[in-house]
Amino acid sequence: MSGPSPPPRAPHLRAPLFGAALFGTFALAVALLGAWLLFGRGGTPIQTDLLAMLPATERHPLAEAAVERLAHANGDRMVLVVEHANDSEAKDAARDLGKRLVDSKAFASITAELPPFDLDQLLAPYLPHRFHLLTDADRASLTRPDYDPAQALARRLNEPFLAGVGIKLQDDPFGWLQHWLDQQPWSRSPLVPEDDLLTAHRDDRTYVMVIATLRGSSYDDTVQRTGLSALAQAEQTVLQDHPGTHVLRAGAVFHAAEARAGAEHDVHVVGLTSTLGIAVLLLWAFRSPRPLLIAFLSTAIGIVTAITATVLIFGQMHLLTLVFGAALLGEAVDYSIQYLCARANAGATWQAQRGVRQVRPALLLALATSLLGYALLGGVPFPALRQMACFAMVGMLAACLSVFWLLPALLAKPASKPLSPSLVGLARRMQNGAARLGHGRYSWIALALLVLVALPGWWRLGHDDDIHLLISPPADLAREEARIRDITGLGNSSQFYLVHGDSAEQVLQREEALEAHLQTLVQQGRMDSWTGIAGMLPSAQRQQANHAALAPLFADHALMEKQLLHAGLRDNVVAAYLNAWPGQPLSMDAWLAMPVSTPFRYLWMGQSEHGFASIVLPQGQDDANVLRTAAEELPGVELVDKPASISALFGRYRTYASLWLSAALVLVALVFVWRYGRAAPRVIAPPLLGIGLTLTALGYLGEPLTLFHWMALMLVLGVGANYAVFLHEGEPHAAHVPGATYAGVLLSAVTALLSFGLLALSSMPALQHFGITLLLGIGFTALLVPVTRPAREYETV
Amino acid sequence: MRRLIALFLCWFAVGVHAQQSTLLQNVLNELGNHATVRAAFTQSRENPALAQPQVSQGQLLFVVGHGMLWQVTEPYRETLALTGGRTARIDEQGQSQTVRGGDRGVAQVSQMLQSMLSGKQDDALRQFDIDAQGSLSHWTLRFTPRQERMGRVLRRIELGGDQFLQSIRVEMQNGESTQIRFSETRDAGPLTVLEKRALGMPP
Repeated sequence: MSGPSPPPRAPHLRAPLFGAALFGTFALAVALLGAWLLFGRGGTPIQTDLLAMLPATERHPLAEAAVERLAHANGDRMVLVVEHANDSEAKDAARDLGKRLVDSKAFASITAELPPFDLDQLLAPYLPHRFHLLTDADRASLTRPDYDPAQALARRLNEPFLAGVGIKLQDDPFGWLQHWLDQQPWSRSPLVPEDDLLTAHRDDRTYVMVIATLRGSSYDDTVQRTGLSALAQAEQTVLQDHPGTHVLRAGAVFHAAEARAGAEHDVHVVGLTSTLGIAVLLLWAFRSPRPLLIAFLSTAIGIVTAITATVLIFGQMHLLTLVFGAALLGEAVDYSIQYLCARANAGATWQAQRGVRQVRPALLLALATSLLGYALLGGVPFPALRQMACFAMVGMLAACLSVFWLLPALLAKPASKPLSPSLVGLARRMQNGAARLGHGRYSWIALALLVLVALPGWWRLGHDDDIHLLISPPADLAREEARIRDITGLGNSSQFYLVHGDSAEQVLQREEALEAHLQTLVQQGRMDSWTGIAGMLPSAQRQQANHAALAPLFADHALMEKQLLHAGLRDNVVAAYLNAWPGQPLSMDAWLAMPVSTPFRYLWMGQSEHGFASIVLPQGQDDANVLRTAAEELPGVELVDKPASISALFGRYRTYASLWLSAALVLVALVFVWRYGRAAPRVIAPPLLGIGLTLTALGYLGEPLTLFHWMALMLVLGVGANYAVFLHEGEPHAAHVPGATYAGVLLSAVTALLSFGLLALSSMPALQHFGITLLLGIGFTALLVPVTRPAREYETV
Repeated sequence: MRRLIALFLCWFAVGVHAQQSTLLQNVLNELGNHATVRAAFTQSRENPALAQPQVSQGQLLFVVGHGMLWQVTEPYRETLALTGGRTARIDEQGQSQTVRGGDRGVAQVSQMLQSMLSGKQDDALRQFDIDAQGSLSHWTLRFTPRQERMGRVLRRIELGGDQFLQSIRVEMQNGESTQIRFSETRDAGPLTVLEKRALGMPP
């Protein structure tokens, strides 16, 4: 489009050299800063916590905190369950495993054999509060007018087989405290202490629990490695010594390790394969090692700047970004390829600065469309996607600027050889074929045929918003965790109730209201049970009601004494019991100080700027609709269902993304109309058709559309528009070498396919969808892009 | 000579052990032959907190694989259904109301008895050392807790009987002891609708 530039004058030469030196120094400084950020501070800032990728979805600010709290309550430990058909073999294996894990010194603590404990000592702290703690059933019968204390006493004293374990008869002759203690979560757990091990029996098999607490965070690389290798060693010996043993495992550390291994594998496959592929391709195309080194230098500057900026801005880099970054190589290398092609095509007349001026409009337009695409990606409130967008934008900008400012200084001499003739020849044949089909009377028939073929594919398109797009735990790990949940009776902890209020008392009262609803579900057989604080620490109001229900009995001291004596209790026992009345309520501090509350303290979130809150965990019901009915019309109670929230968010943003894509298409079309006038439809056609055909192919492949497909289509639009622009702008400059410009576009496309396309092999579904969409989209667009220039022009050249 | 005695003693001990486990097996087989049993019971309990023993009387219905109905008639009227780990109170209309589920006391002992009387001794053997004495026509099984934790609460359980179970004695470490004697023990015959419902059996 632009005319031939005047030859540069001598004084102009010095400024570009100075600029190149400045840019080189800048790049070197960035690289050093990046190296220090990555390796110089001890511990790599690579984030393996899958939870950190998830967007904030909950309306209530405390809900996000609760999600995190639950995830990390079990976060820094391994829960291992040793399984064997033979009871004593299972227990020996568990003891053995525990001992070996202790000996490995890789863990902060191991809980296999339980420390000796004294039941009386554990229960004694409840005695002062016994007149404030009643079960619902006892409170209901106490407040009935026909309540007969003498008969209640007789029933209790004549219970079949034994009169209760734990609280002594003299401390609790009516059994009220005993009944209440029977309802405590530790009494309901399927795990019972046997032979000093926490054991469960199921289907004639014995399961023994061993808990290993890590020496730090599950997401710490060193902690992860030492813990896992110690476990692997111990497990191997135990399995050898006790054949038939099976070890089930649960814990964040296993997920983190799997995610890390998957990502490392991806980075190796995508990064290495695409680097090698691009290297071979460039060597073949330019027939000289120098362009290859230059292209990699420009790309490396882009990637290093992107890494440094990402770590600077976000503090750490997520796995997903790392894998995506490996794929970005293929797009960042495009700018230098265009410049190198211009140099190869110019032959002996090459002048570095004129080359820059020649490619600048195309590169700037291409950069603008890419930045636009990634900016839209960054608009999604997913931390991981934001990071990817930031990474891509910085990387592309740095790579593009290196072409303007650094490469001219390194490529001052003309190219020794033109582009590989076989590549140019291939490109010319492809270009002519596609262009002939895309023009004249056949073009409408071809277009109609394409649409006809595409229609059934579009018709078959479905969609999928499942959370497993982002987090897909390995199937066997998920199965083992489900089994452990089943055996230990623990909830799935991704669905729970958040109860909040202005004071601790209000939270407890609201929890009690919720528990009344949950009790109904349990009675209907729609839920097994639940675990919440209010069951262990009733609200002051509830304790007052309990006390009030007992007060009439104790009001007539003489009558009560007579009844107790008449029932057969010793007089000193009766006196001591009556003296204990009225006792005192159980306070939050007293409860938190009890040893038995330790495993449940994490359910109490305490006070924050948003008030007080607690967590109630349902067990034995996964259907969010059923769970939600219990929270309906209760103030300050909501069901938090993180997987469902994220799926809903995916769905919402999938719809937005399709609208954004249309808007971006319109935007790009407007830019093209402004720059190319009547030729604009031909320039926009290849990316548009590329997107359409990609959707068709996905439909035929039976792949449901996800948010990530739409995000990738956005990139297809950006990259496809680039190719159309490169061809349309570049053709006049290389009119003397037919096919050379298209050869440059093909080079760009193949490098992009080599890197993005390889993402289709990724172990993460999100990246896999990204990869397959880009593979199809870039492939189709690259094939269609010759229709950008009318065929007649080529023939006349 | 001492070696010979030692050897003899060892052999004898093995013999006794073998004899015991055959007796245990035979007793369990015999008990397992009676799928449903009815009996009248008298329970007497002594406890350090009690000045005089508590005595109650009633009827017991035991159904293998389902549990038992514990029907007290004296000194008050109450029907308890002990099924698995669950204890429910049955009112006059046959409506059941859960008293408790899965607690470690009554339920654990009743569960152990249920599995013993069903001829399944695995659960019991895991929890107790079992010592069998006497003959098939007059036997005693003594259960001593193997688990230290349980041993700190429960001293022992003794079952005695002939063709049927005739007595149960539960001794606790805190000095409580409960003696249950059965009489008029017999095969139950058909169950009533109310009984079936209370035990959660198909009508």
